[in-house]
Amino acid sequence: MSLIVADDLAKSYGKVVAVDGLSLRVEQGNIMGLIGPNGAGKTTTIKIILGMLRQDRGNVMVFDQDPWNNPDIRHRIGVIYERAYFPAHHQVLEYLKRVCRIFGKPESRAREVLALTRLEDAHDRSIKALSAGMLQKFAVAHAIIHEPSLIVADEPTANLDPVARSELLDLILELHKNGKTTFLISSHILPELSRVCESVAIMNKGKVWASGDLEELSVKLGARATRVSTDKPGTLADELRKLQYVNRVEADSRGVTVAANLGEEEKLYEDVPKIAKKIEAKIAGIESGTASLEELFRLAVKSDSERGSPH
Amino acid sequence: MTEISKGRPFLEVFSAAMKENYRFPILEIFAFLYAFGTFIFAGLGATVAQSSETFAHGLVNTLTGIPLFILLILIWANVAYGLGNDIEKGTIQTLLSYPLKRRTVLTAKLLSALGVSLLLFLGIQLFALFLLTPEITRDYFGTIALTYAANLSSSLLMAGIVLLVALVLKRGGLALVVGIVLYFALTIVSSMVFFLAWTGTELPFKAFALIYPNMALDRYYTGAGSSPFGTSELWVPSFSEALGYIGASYVIVALIFLLCYVYFDRRLGI
Repeated sequence: MSLIVADDLAKSYGKVVAVDGLSLRVEQGNIMGLIGPNGAGKTTTIKIILGMLRQDRGNVMVFDQDPWNNPDIRHRIGVIYERAYFPAHHQVLEYLKRVCRIFGKPESRAREVLALTRLEDAHDRSIKALSAGMLQKFAVAHAIIHEPSLIVADEPTANLDPVARSELLDLILELHKNGKTTFLISSHILPELSRVCESVAIMNKGKVWASGDLEELSVKLGARATRVSTDKPGTLADELRKLQYVNRVEADSRGVTVAANLGEEEKLYEDVPKIAKKIEAKIAGIESGTASLEELFRLAVKSDSERGSPH
Repeated sequence: MTEISKGRPFLEVFSAAMKENYRFPILEIFAFLYAFGTFIFAGLGATVAQSSETFAHGLVNTLTGIPLFILLILIWANVAYGLGNDIEKGTIQTLLSYPLKRRTVLTAKLLSALGVSLLLFLGIQLFALFLLTPEITRDYFGTIALTYAANLSSSLLMAGIVLLVALVLKRGGLALVVGIVLYFALTIVSSMVFFLAWTGTELPFKAFALIYPNMALDRYYTGAGSSPFGTSELWVPSFSEALGYIGASYVIVALIFLLCYVYFDRRLGI
């Protein structure tokens, strides 16, 4: 079941096209990453999905309803913005209790989410006195207080230090595991997303260029990589580039990462030892794996200029 | 989905807005300024009290002078710096993430920004009138109410324009500047149209009375008078005409606020 279905969305700000024919589906129970460079249209897409902005073209349905006209669906949605702003002169616990009352939850839930986000000690502090990191944690507490089944987060880790980032990602995984919460998380910090996301949509220039789970995308973009550890990475890379079925070779100090065309990865296991023997290189290991999110993103964006149309 | 009363989220947003708009000591300071401005003039009025409609109208005009300006400052602060900054900074995104219609959020914010300021203003003013000039207030309550209505419509109009600017430009500070410029522009224009009316050109005066109907009501109560610039008499409307001007001014105010609601509800991208 798709909780979010966006079809052919378009949104411009004057002459600037922010979203241009974007289509996206987020399945129930999934953690989907919306990745793309700054200015790709991620925030605009999220705002349209949340009913904060109206699209110029296309349709978006969240829980089978138009988010602009149906505020009741917000009982089921939690939102985390990159920069969170709350009524500044409230105290932390006081405001969360107010939010409990808005959503019809018992006020004791406020203390629960403060414990979950490790903000118990700040319960009596004014919201305006919170540091950027604490404010982001408060935003997370605010987003989960009504136990939503979908959480939409726009660059949720942007203002956090590494420890707080890691804690937030752990919390996302915990909520997903325990409550089966569905997440749509936009970010341009790819290593973090790859830690939590089951699937990604790669955005650039207002379009989704590729989407699916990481394995699926690796295949789709020809990015399943084989790692060869060797003492002569440069020479081996030069030889591998001569193979017709190889579409990408990258060498570093410890070895070579090589991507073969779809269905031809097995040939590498035959050819690499032969080439190594020829150039008198030692092979410490060969292993295949899914491409990193960075690689997928780079390939998808590269396809922008080469293919001219998204997947 | 949790079933809760529709009114509860509205009341919570209203109450949150109240806490932000009137945090200590804002409410206390403004209440003092209203009371101080009101009682000084009400006290002076009480010493020369006459039992007539014209006196009652004049007394309210005197009472509203400084407190009305204080009311405008409070409304500007709440609308431009309160709501305008909520939109500019993004706090409104948080409020719109609650299960409330956009117009409900705007109503809650406006009730706090405008409604409470007005209640405070009117409460103190009427209290002073009943306390210091009880007979006049009782005997001419209709005149008093009408004079307040005529005085307040221009303030509400300016509040509506500041709100519209804040919504469209999403800049609280700029909306405040527009409000201040508008106030002084209207003050200058009112003097100009008065001067023109005394010299025999009444149309600008009548047109201006549409947004500042107390000019029409004032002319009705003070009656005919000779022009210091010539022989022409300044326009004196009938009572029903003066009422018509007050009604028309509120129609204009209602249209501005309706425009704000429609824009906020259907167009405003946050």
